[in-house]
Amino acid sequence: MYGWIWRHLPGNTWVKALLSLLLALAAVYVLFQYVFPWAEPLLPFGDATVDEQ
Amino acid sequence: MAVVEHDRRGGDTGAHRPDGRRRPTRGPVASLVSFLGELLMTAGVVLGLFVVYSLWWTNLLADRAADRESDRVREQWEQEIEGAGVPGKLDTKDGIGFLHVPAMDDDQILVKKGTDPKVLDDGAAGYYTDPVRATLPTSGKNGNFSLAAHRDGHGAKFHNIHKIHEGDPVVFESKDRWYVYKVFEILPSTSKFDVGVLEKVPEKSGRKKPGKYITLTTCTPMYTSEHRYIVWGELVRVEPVDDRRTPPAEIRGS
Repeated sequence: MYGWIWRHLPGNTWVKALLSLLLALAAVYVLFQYVFPWAEPLLPFGDATVDEQ
Repeated sequence: MAVVEHDRRGGDTGAHRPDGRRRPTRGPVASLVSFLGELLMTAGVVLGLFVVYSLWWTNLLADRAADRESDRVREQWEQEIEGAGVPGKLDTKDGIGFLHVPAMDDDQILVKKGTDPKVLDDGAAGYYTDPVRATLPTSGKNGNFSLAAHRDGHGAKFHNIHKIHEGDPVVFESKDRWYVYKVFEILPSTSKFDVGVLEKVPEKSGRKKPGKYITLTTCTPMYTSEHRYIVWGELVRVEPVDDRRTPPAEIRGS
């Protein structure tokens, strides 16, 4: 999977490395901004209240 | 120099190819195993990032939101105290005051209405509106001022709740009064369905008579929300706020 991405990135090794870094950062951004906020209420780590459910 | 051109066992000989152009030849099994391995590593990294998100990033966001809203509440109070004619109400988002708990060595904790994630995730403590409605101290009535806040992440305002001991002060600051409570009972672990702890007379605390109580609830053990940690206090004194908002003796110098 990562090998495939690496082979399909354009440019020499340095350009590929830079693009890989940007892709990784984009992935982290999407996770922090959208995926984790969505997943968090579904996981049993953050409830602080007592309730009847 | 002998270069292995073609490895029929399916090993990855493509990693150090001199020309860097030809695709490595791999058996289907090796490809699948390699792909699964990458998926597992990715899952590990994502879970690690989730920990970073939960315990660090959400705190940053929540503290920023809470600071902003706290400033707004204080500004609103100043306006109300200075001029009788209020020049346009600020949106204080139901912020009603601040909690000061020296034993938790926190700063002020903004108190807002409700215990929805929306409220608590902004780094505030929320007073219960459901399943048992909290009695606000400002109402002057007997009842239970029940509050919830996060133990971890989202500001983690009750993170150090285990540092509170019996006899410690818990002070609620409203626009014009300091409400000084004294902790008299701690329940280190109870079921998350134990709504009885919120009752107007929380009998689990040992008190059977109506009075002015405060209840802090959060999750325990740390980093999970398997159970709930409860701290009960009782009102001992109400002090008016002076011009300089001098805090009561209990929280001075904290």
